[in-house]
Amino acid sequence: MKLFTRRDRAEDQTETAAEASPAQTVSTFLTAFGSCDVEAALSVVDDSVRVDIHPTGLSEGGAAELRAFLTETATAFPDLVVTVKNLIETGSAVTAELKAEGTQAAGYLGAINQEKHLDVDQAWRFTVSGDRITGIDAYWCQNQLYRRLAVKRLDQISLV
Amino acid sequence: MTTTEPRSRSREAAGQATAFFDAYRRHDVDAMTDLCADNAGFFYVPFELWGKQRVLRGDGKVKTVGKTIWVGLIASFPDLFATVHSVDANDNGDVVVRCDIGGSQQLAWGAAEPRGQKFSEPHLFIFHVDDDGLIDRISAYWDGAGINRQLGHLEVD
Repeated sequence: MKLFTRRDRAEDQTETAAEASPAQTVSTFLTAFGSCDVEAALSVVDDSVRVDIHPTGLSEGGAAELRAFLTETATAFPDLVVTVKNLIETGSAVTAELKAEGTQAAGYLGAINQEKHLDVDQAWRFTVSGDRITGIDAYWCQNQLYRRLAVKRLDQISLV
Repeated sequence: MTTTEPRSRSREAAGQATAFFDAYRRHDVDAMTDLCADNAGFFYVPFELWGKQRVLRGDGKVKTVGKTIWVGLIASFPDLFATVHSVDANDNGDVVVRCDIGGSQQLAWGAAEPRGQKFSEPHLFIFHVDDDGLIDRISAYWDGAGINRQLGHLEVD
């Protein structure tokens, strides 16, 4: 039997973290996102992260804006399923093609809750430094999202 | 523009994607398709036209669906531009390109009637380049609502 001291465990964690590839770090984030576990998702995001979520109009946001977006998504779609269809590692950049699915249970990005099912294909490009995500660019079609949530007009998103 | 440090196959793949956007900027659709394999897959994910009985999607082959969409897009936006911000490639032949695409609308595009408006919208393109150096898959993502707002088309079709 081997006994681990506190220092052993700390060194072990450091080694594990150092071994994580950029794709593994992104997979950790996306798995947590798909489980609506905002804290676990943010655990691999650097405090200085730069976030562009183009469909929401978020440009050069930070960790606080990312937290708000993840929380709103997890609240609006408590049965959220994120299916990663393709994960591409190109050096320190990792790009995920994924599908986000769920049933609306609360207002989302201005659209009132009509308990509609959502399925939207998306692409997220991450920049990873070490084992931390330092940049996120998210792309999807907000027209597709609003169509599935039964929104009729872009200037009257909260009306049905 | 930033480009990742490419090695041999990744350099070739990045070069092919760069050549694709060079042709796009020249509005040379034949050159764009010549950079692709005969059976190259085409997936313009946000592209959906909802009819009364069916939905027309931007899925198919480069040399059929893709070419048709590009020709129509350039006709509707004669000053169409594509500004590339980054090209990232790997030795599997994958290339990811961040760019802005935009232009001034002269003809109808999808359900958007021409109002003389301009748009510029961030796009993400994902290419795969095969062992012969030809693009065999193109996927692209963007926010269609962002484009429609800029064009003054506010109905969610």
